[in-house]
Amino acid sequence: MSLYLFLTLAILTIISALAVVFSKNPMYSVLWLIVCFFTIAGHYVLLNAQFLAIVHLIVYAGAIMVLFLFVVMLLNLNADTEPHKSNLSKIASAIAAGLFFVVLIASIRATALGEFNLPNKTNIGFVEEVGKKLFTDFLLPFEISSVLFLSAMIGSVLLAKKEKK
Amino acid sequence: MTTLLYTTCLGLFCMLAEVLNLRKLLIPAVILGLSAIFVVNMQQWGITTPASIGSVSLSHMVKMDNFAIAFSGLAIVISILIFVLAANYYKDDQNHISDYLSIMVFVLCGALVMFSYNNMAMLFLGIEILSISLYIMAGSRRFDTRSNESGMKYFLMGAFASGFLLFGIALIYGASGTFELEGITKYIAAGEVAPMFYLGVTLLLFAMLFKVSAVPFHFWSPDVYEGAPALITAFMSTLVKVAAFAALYRLFSHCLGGTMYYVEPLLIIVTGATIIVGNVTALSQINVKRILAYSGIAHAGYMLLGVLSSQTNAASSVFFYAAAYAIATVGLFALAIMTFKSNFSENVDAFNGLAKKNPVAAALISIFMLSLAGIPPFAGFLGKYYIFSEAIRNGYVTLTLFAVINSIIAVYYYLKVIIAMYSQPANDKPMVVHPTYMVVAIICAAATIGLTLVPDMLMQILK
Repeated sequence: MSLYLFLTLAILTIISALAVVFSKNPMYSVLWLIVCFFTIAGHYVLLNAQFLAIVHLIVYAGAIMVLFLFVVMLLNLNADTEPHKSNLSKIASAIAAGLFFVVLIASIRATALGEFNLPNKTNIGFVEEVGKKLFTDFLLPFEISSVLFLSAMIGSVLLAKKEKK
Repeated sequence: MTTLLYTTCLGLFCMLAEVLNLRKLLIPAVILGLSAIFVVNMQQWGITTPASIGSVSLSHMVKMDNFAIAFSGLAIVISILIFVLAANYYKDDQNHISDYLSIMVFVLCGALVMFSYNNMAMLFLGIEILSISLYIMAGSRRFDTRSNESGMKYFLMGAFASGFLLFGIALIYGASGTFELEGITKYIAAGEVAPMFYLGVTLLLFAMLFKVSAVPFHFWSPDVYEGAPALITAFMSTLVKVAAFAALYRLFSHCLGGTMYYVEPLLIIVTGATIIVGNVTALSQINVKRILAYSGIAHAGYMLLGVLSSQTNAASSVFFYAAAYAIATVGLFALAIMTFKSNFSENVDAFNGLAKKNPVAAALISIFMLSLAGIPPFAGFLGKYYIFSEAIRNGYVTLTLFAVINSIIAVYYYLKVIIAMYSQPANDKPMVVHPTYMVVAIICAAATIGLTLVPDMLMQILK
């Protein structure tokens, strides 16, 4: 059952991701990206990471996509204003990305995944477990990331606030 | 750990100072605070108590070893010098002074994390705190399109590099099952290293090479340096470069040393390319900030030699080199900012005839330029000497010879500014001298000469 679920989700993810890249209209790209995010959230649920799935939906599909949509609408992207890359750079980037893809697939295929001792718990991805981990082992990164957000917050105010004359 | 804690508090203080209307006192307070933090930092020297908050042990996250303390000390000294410059630089921008200062203190926080990380999660956070604060500072001149371009370019490229960094860490975690540096070292030592792990190491290395602006990941650096406000350029080319290098060095000396045989060919090619591209491209530049950006790329190449030698504890050499480079660059920028402001130009011809207008400034600039070029008796020479001898000891003779030849090429563009100062006719724009810039420059010059008097002491500290 979960295999079929996984396959359906995986195929949907790939199709929507390809649609993001191949859509001519940036608005469709953004909408396909939302589909892509939902299917990835589905993968998280299958991996028993409910908390991550919800956060993913709220942050990415919710906040970030709205931001993307606004940016696309404000920028008024169309074929005329879009910068055109030369064929040479297109071919070069296709070759580079293709080679990287091949190496990536090959190295992951060649890796014999070791036996990981997964803890025999069903609630591993729940808020409670994540919270316990965050406030014990990962206390310092958790607290330090507040500096990161603070800095970003000051920065956005600094860059966006209306100047007093 | 305490260093990081106090620095964060100082950043918060800067942020809140605006509310309390303490703008006038802010810069002296920050300088005083950083000096106190420097003392606190140095008091931890040699003490190896594991980091903790209350009863929660943090030793798997940060490790304040002597390496971290030495580099933290250097970073704090550089920051103090930059903040002294900020007093005059932001004189006419008092509205935003507390924002600027708090973001710059947060950059220092990021750097401190990058010196002491003992966990991939901390490495990532350190780099992100540093970078995101810098994207903002690079674009902080909102009404200057070049500053906007600089911030935007840095942000897009940096975000891309962060993607590589995260992907690399994820693959390393996938193969080894741990984020901790010691755990990863054990995994490598156990012998059965998965191919996926090597891919992770490569991606991680790419991201780090981007941060140190090594060729071929250097394209952002001249544009970003040119567009950013001059003080921020000084900050980026000193503190940030030192932080990125210390993080890269720590990665190989504390964690990925076992994969050195694998990354060695890649690192050798990158080192050679960085040295030659940096030096040769700098020859044709006329903007002083761009010259310094390319010179920074070339210096990154020399410091990569130190990373290549990381398996025989080249930490002292890298520290000495980083200190010599950073101090000379801060001093140079102090005088360059003054010259830029007086001439309303950032090109080499702004320095024309400076020797007649202000002989002291011209002499100081010459000292810094010669130190960067690696000419004795200045600290830059000894730094190069130590790095090169470390590299030869590790068998990189050809690469070192190549680096020596290139550092001779480098003399040309450093001398270009000196020649402009001494043999070009002066223009009619008066040189506006401000004491804070001169004080910083004199301190840096004293340090540039002073470092050469105690090299043995500095070379022993990280053994």
